[in-house]
Amino acid sequence: MSKKIHIRLANHRVNSSVAVYSRVPKIFTPGEIITPQNEFMRGHGTYEEDGNLKSSVAGVREQVNNLISIRPLKSRYNGEVGDVVVGRITEVQQKRWKIDTNSRLDSVLLLSSVNLPGGELRRRSVEDEHMMRQYLQEGDLISAEVQSVYSDGSLSLHTRSLKYGKLGQGVLLKVFPSLVKRSKTHFHNLPVGASVILGNNGFIWICPTIVNSEDSVGGFIQNLEEVIPRQQRETIARLRNCILSLTQSKMLVFDTSILYAYEESLKYEICELLQPEAMVDVALLTQQRLCMLEE
Amino acid sequence: MSRNKELLSKIGLRLDGRRANELRRIRCKLGVFTEPDGSAYIEQGLTKVLAAVYGPHQVRGQRSKAQHDGALVNCQFSMAVFSTGERKRRPRGDRKSTELSMHLQQALLAAIKTELYPWSQIDVYVEVLHADGGIYPACVNAATLALIDAGIPLKEYVCACTASLANNDVPMLDISHQEEAIGGPTLTVAALPMSGKIVLMEMSQRFHLDHLPKVLEKALQGCKDVKNILDEAVRLHVQDVGSSTGWVIKN
Amino acid sequence: MFTTKSFIKKNKIGNYLKHVREHYIRDDIFCGFSCCETCSLVESSLTEEYVNKCSLFKFNHYLILDTNIILEQMDVLEEPIIGNCIILHTVLKEVKHRSLPIYKRLMSIVDNPSRHFYIFTNDHHKDTFMPQKDGELINDYNDRLIRKACSWYMDHLPNKKFVLLTDDRANKNLAKEDEIPAVTTTEYVKHLDEQVALGDKLKKKDSEVQKDAKSIFPPHLSTSAMLIGIKEGKLYQGTFRASRDNFLEGFVNVEGFEDNVLVQGRKGLNRAVDGDVVAVQMFDKTEWVSPSEIVLEDEGVSEENIKDIQKNENELKKNAKNSKKDEIRPTGCVVGIIRRKWRQYCGILQGNSDGLYQIFVPADSSIPKIRIETRQAEFLRSQKFIVTIDSWPQHSRYPHGHFVRALGKIGQQSTENEVVLLEHDVPHSQFSEEVLSCLPKLPWLITDDDVKKRVDLRGIDICSVDPPGCTDIDDALHCRPIEGDRLEVGVHIADVSHFIRPGTALDLEAASRATTVYLINKRIDMVPELLSSNLCSLRGGEERFAFSCIWEMDKEANIINTRFHKSIIKSKKAMTYEEAQITIDDKSKNDSIAQSLRNLNMLAKILKKGRLQKGALVLASPEVKIRMDSETMEPLDVEIKKMFETNSMVEEFMLLANISVAQKILEDFPDCAMLRRHPTPPSTNFDPLVKAGKHLGFDMKIDSGKNLAQSLDDATCETNPYLNTMLRILATRCMLQAVYFPSGAMQKDEYFHYGLAVPLYTHFTSPIRRYADIIVHRLLAVTCGADSTYPNLLNKQKTVELCQNLNYRNRMAQYAGRASVAFNTHLFFKGKVQDEEGYVLYVRKNALQILIPKYGLECNLFLATKGETSNIFEYDEDNQTQKAGNLIIHSFDRVVVRMSLDSKNIQHEKFTLQLVEPFIEGFSVQPLGQTEMEVDTNEAKTDKKRKSTSEKGNNKRKS
Repeated sequence: MSKKIHIRLANHRVNSSVAVYSRVPKIFTPGEIITPQNEFMRGHGTYEEDGNLKSSVAGVREQVNNLISIRPLKSRYNGEVGDVVVGRITEVQQKRWKIDTNSRLDSVLLLSSVNLPGGELRRRSVEDEHMMRQYLQEGDLISAEVQSVYSDGSLSLHTRSLKYGKLGQGVLLKVFPSLVKRSKTHFHNLPVGASVILGNNGFIWICPTIVNSEDSVGGFIQNLEEVIPRQQRETIARLRNCILSLTQSKMLVFDTSILYAYEESLKYEICELLQPEAMVDVALLTQQRLCMLEE
Repeated sequence: MSRNKELLSKIGLRLDGRRANELRRIRCKLGVFTEPDGSAYIEQGLTKVLAAVYGPHQVRGQRSKAQHDGALVNCQFSMAVFSTGERKRRPRGDRKSTELSMHLQQALLAAIKTELYPWSQIDVYVEVLHADGGIYPACVNAATLALIDAGIPLKEYVCACTASLANNDVPMLDISHQEEAIGGPTLTVAALPMSGKIVLMEMSQRFHLDHLPKVLEKALQGCKDVKNILDEAVRLHVQDVGSSTGWVIKN
Repeated sequence: MFTTKSFIKKNKIGNYLKHVREHYIRDDIFCGFSCCETCSLVESSLTEEYVNKCSLFKFNHYLILDTNIILEQMDVLEEPIIGNCIILHTVLKEVKHRSLPIYKRLMSIVDNPSRHFYIFTNDHHKDTFMPQKDGELINDYNDRLIRKACSWYMDHLPNKKFVLLTDDRANKNLAKEDEIPAVTTTEYVKHLDEQVALGDKLKKKDSEVQKDAKSIFPPHLSTSAMLIGIKEGKLYQGTFRASRDNFLEGFVNVEGFEDNVLVQGRKGLNRAVDGDVVAVQMFDKTEWVSPSEIVLEDEGVSEENIKDIQKNENELKKNAKNSKKDEIRPTGCVVGIIRRKWRQYCGILQGNSDGLYQIFVPADSSIPKIRIETRQAEFLRSQKFIVTIDSWPQHSRYPHGHFVRALGKIGQQSTENEVVLLEHDVPHSQFSEEVLSCLPKLPWLITDDDVKKRVDLRGIDICSVDPPGCTDIDDALHCRPIEGDRLEVGVHIADVSHFIRPGTALDLEAASRATTVYLINKRIDMVPELLSSNLCSLRGGEERFAFSCIWEMDKEANIINTRFHKSIIKSKKAMTYEEAQITIDDKSKNDSIAQSLRNLNMLAKILKKGRLQKGALVLASPEVKIRMDSETMEPLDVEIKKMFETNSMVEEFMLLANISVAQKILEDFPDCAMLRRHPTPPSTNFDPLVKAGKHLGFDMKIDSGKNLAQSLDDATCETNPYLNTMLRILATRCMLQAVYFPSGAMQKDEYFHYGLAVPLYTHFTSPIRRYADIIVHRLLAVTCGADSTYPNLLNKQKTVELCQNLNYRNRMAQYAGRASVAFNTHLFFKGKVQDEEGYVLYVRKNALQILIPKYGLECNLFLATKGETSNIFEYDEDNQTQKAGNLIIHSFDRVVVRMSLDSKNIQHEKFTLQLVEPFIEGFSVQPLGQTEMEVDTNEAKTDKKRKSTSEKGNNKRKS
């Protein structure tokens, strides 16, 4: 199989920016004084020195009542209760799994926070502990919801809904968490014939359309035998490339933007979507459509 | 031959046409990679450095290294084998690289607010693509940019700069490789330019204490100049990215 | 703006590397004209008031110089008639790259504001910079840049006129195409006023000579061919050293070879001039010969005629055939010149021929004669003057050169002094205003502050002992009994470092001069006279600052403790050696000074004994003193210096002070203490001494300094009392030169001083006339907390550079001093004929080298006329004897010779010796008889190189 590989000089790189300069808020950079501290409270991204409230990250100011914080445009995932996340098991411990959710510490999925196979509701026994690795083992992907945040900042997850659980066939995509737009639902059955789970932590899962949410997830079954038709696989690949195009241009990822991008991308072959020019084109057209939508 | 060359000509120009107090051209870019949490590229003259930051993340490998009171900062310095005039044998792991890694860590630790991330680890990788003098300062500056890109809280910018003494009298800023080779002591300073704190200072050879104040002052001025350039680049970057995302304010 | 330059260069190992350098282009570079409104104003010495007077141009104009003008016509540029020149940075860089000496000369012109030169940094200016094109040669590129700068100037300042001065025909033509006025120097100078003298200074181009001239020399290889040859090991690179005695012979010092490579004959030397770096090709071993022992002089008169050379060459060949097996040296021939080391040469015109072309005879006999073109031959005939070599084409017997400047009338003292100073590279100009401004203002008073910082020794009876007429007294002594039956001995050295502060113009000037140079009737001071003869000089009865070294000693001269401090002293009396000797010997005198002198003398004797026991060498060199008529400045008498016990007394204490100081500063500055070492000579150096000893039946042990000293002491002969001195003179010549060095540059065991047999030594006692001592004073001042350091003092690299200069200047000062003695001796002998006692120093094939102790002269007594072997003498090379009938002349034999001065060659006046005793039929002359044979000699200065290395703290005192 021959591949075309494009290596470009820095001069010939495509500027992937699709920025719309409408209203630029004030930008703070590390060490910059936000305000002489007297009545304000220190939020994230700020610190106090010499009586001044200073920024510790590069970003924009957010204020809730007296609480001032500076939000960087990019950072590791900061979980909040209720967030949908996609994560990967890194470790199996006694009574809990450790999961990489792209936050600064691995998250925890307690044995007691999962639905046992068969949906039994009971106290977890020693046998269950022994069975843990058969449910989920290192490397498995799961979707889950943030149950609580520990004092050290690490997250506790649960999969006590049939929506959540082990993920089967599909594609995982990692994007910066800040690019995933928060919305009511992060599970989307896209009309183009695929489903996406937009994890708040920046992990995006694309899989064939889930026909019946009741029996496909919520457990630990992984059906790897089922053959996904080529057309569906192509759809998944195209979706992946579209999301990449969006993130490349630092655009937010949510159901509408994905759909728009998908539609705009149809004029390209899937593999062409890896070329920077095509990616910018897709992003740009999507941006325009979104703008029109806003208006 | 180099003995005959003077660092600063009578007319006050250096070998490459700069004046004594001028930095080399700095060009930089943030977010050059998508895989790491933060990344940056910087050119200082012909010295080119890439930096990538991963983390903060769970401490991998030796768990015991994790600290309860702050993040572990792990730096790795490497030089591409093609970065110097003569091809290097190994890109990292030699004594010089290890030393520079440690110095880099020292400089960054002074700026990163590690106390916010107990039990975590921050990895900083820097790779020199082209070495033309002032490698260490370029690495520090690149790492700072990458940390900012990664959204890791810093007290302020940490910048570094070199300075030397021309004709035993005039302090000179930002020493190129050619000037390093001609000789003269080179003072490398990493500082927090806003508060004026020096976090690392290194001298390539002995020189007389009488000269130190003026050379040091020059180097600090250089750090401030570098900071202003970096700050401008950061603002542009944030503005650019923010405009793309539409400045969504978190709910 | 910003661009990069990239070029490919070879590294040390031979790999090709690509270098990329930054090159910034600026918009803030000043054009140099104060009337310009667009450029930011910086200081510039270009001025409208100055007018270049050249009749080629009807208007005032500014000159833009091409590189070749500066490289080749520097002598013209140094004339003040040319001004308002713009030196482009491109040109400056190339000049610097090609020739550092020329660059330095250029910079001194540029620094002189009255010459109105300005450096324009065209290669960093946004409008005059152009990138190099692909495949464009660097020379073409530079020429293009020069033309670009010219056009820019013409556009930039349309109301000014600019003229490009270039000797490069291609560049000139291209400039014409760009409508830039361009002329060659020859054209330009011809149309200048006062052009007569200037014309002589023009460098002549080879192309002016007819092309069909026959080649006298084989062609040189090209640079690349030489480099390839050297790389392949077929050729060798080395420094060419011409023989002083034989103009058709020379040696090449090839690095890594034990022996020098011998080159002989016109073809062998192939236009190499003394000092050049050359490539040599080695002959087959069967063709190797030994150095000829004959003396040959170039007697050629005209340029084309080479018959006499051929004759001389034949003689050389004849000689070579007879060369002895054991003296055969590697032999080769010069095939190319890698780097010329031409400098400026002093000399005179040869002969009385008229014409444009004249032959110039350099004073230095290792330099070939030079053909010059001059229109003022009449005037030059009476002058000594300076000439520089321009080229040495293949078809010319002599190198071509041009006149630089005249020094003065031949034979005048002032002229000769000037020649001596110039030939030995002694800086002797007046001290500049800047330097003089560093001096303290008179009247100089000691303030209370000074007193507070110093130990007050004004109450102590201190005296100085020096040669008569000495005005720069830098040391004084005292000795007084203290409790415990001990003696306190103090050496007080003038505190010169108090007046010469580091980094001042005065300091830099002193560092560059390095030493005071003593000629017979002239002293070239290292520091201005106010310091050397007044404020620093420890004159009797005056309060002076000193640096004191004080020992407590017991009566056996063991040092109990040593201390150093700065002090104020008041010398009770400045004595001469003779006065001091009389004071010691005069039993009736019993004042404190007499007592302390006696004590000092007593201690000195013990010290000397101890020193000799340790293996210090007592060496000898014939040192003479010339008495001058104070009014006419003509020599009245030549005599050997008288030595008193007090000489040795002062010397001992100076040595002791130097040693003590050396220990102290090394302790505190292990890395950058200025020390002096005297390397152990390689055993082969002693060959002549061992050989001579063997003939006389003495066994010379040379394995260590101590054994050598012992052997020398033992070698005495009842019948020939002078023999021992002669051996010591020979031993002196085996020694290497003692040198200054910073302690960090050598291993500990290399610090050793061979002659004095001490592990550590430095110079501390003569800061008025030696710069090394000033440095040592500064170091010592730091160790005793009296002063602070400064950057260069602790910089090893700087100290190494400084030492190199000091060593070079010291050597040159020694040579200059000797040359001056030689000249004055000649002056003294003018018109005199005398019979004198002498000793045979060496026996050579066609001459005896004779030492005349009375005048400290060494002359050759020729046994045969040139080119012939004597029919009277038989030379026995193995035993180094000459046999005439029954009489055998050995080394060290006593002879009587008749001396007279041969002034036929005014530049090289020589002593003519004739044998008087022993009488040899057909050769010797009667004490009053007539000569049959012309005999000539070489003056003592031929032995410049081998010189006494006996270290004395105060060995160079002069009247």
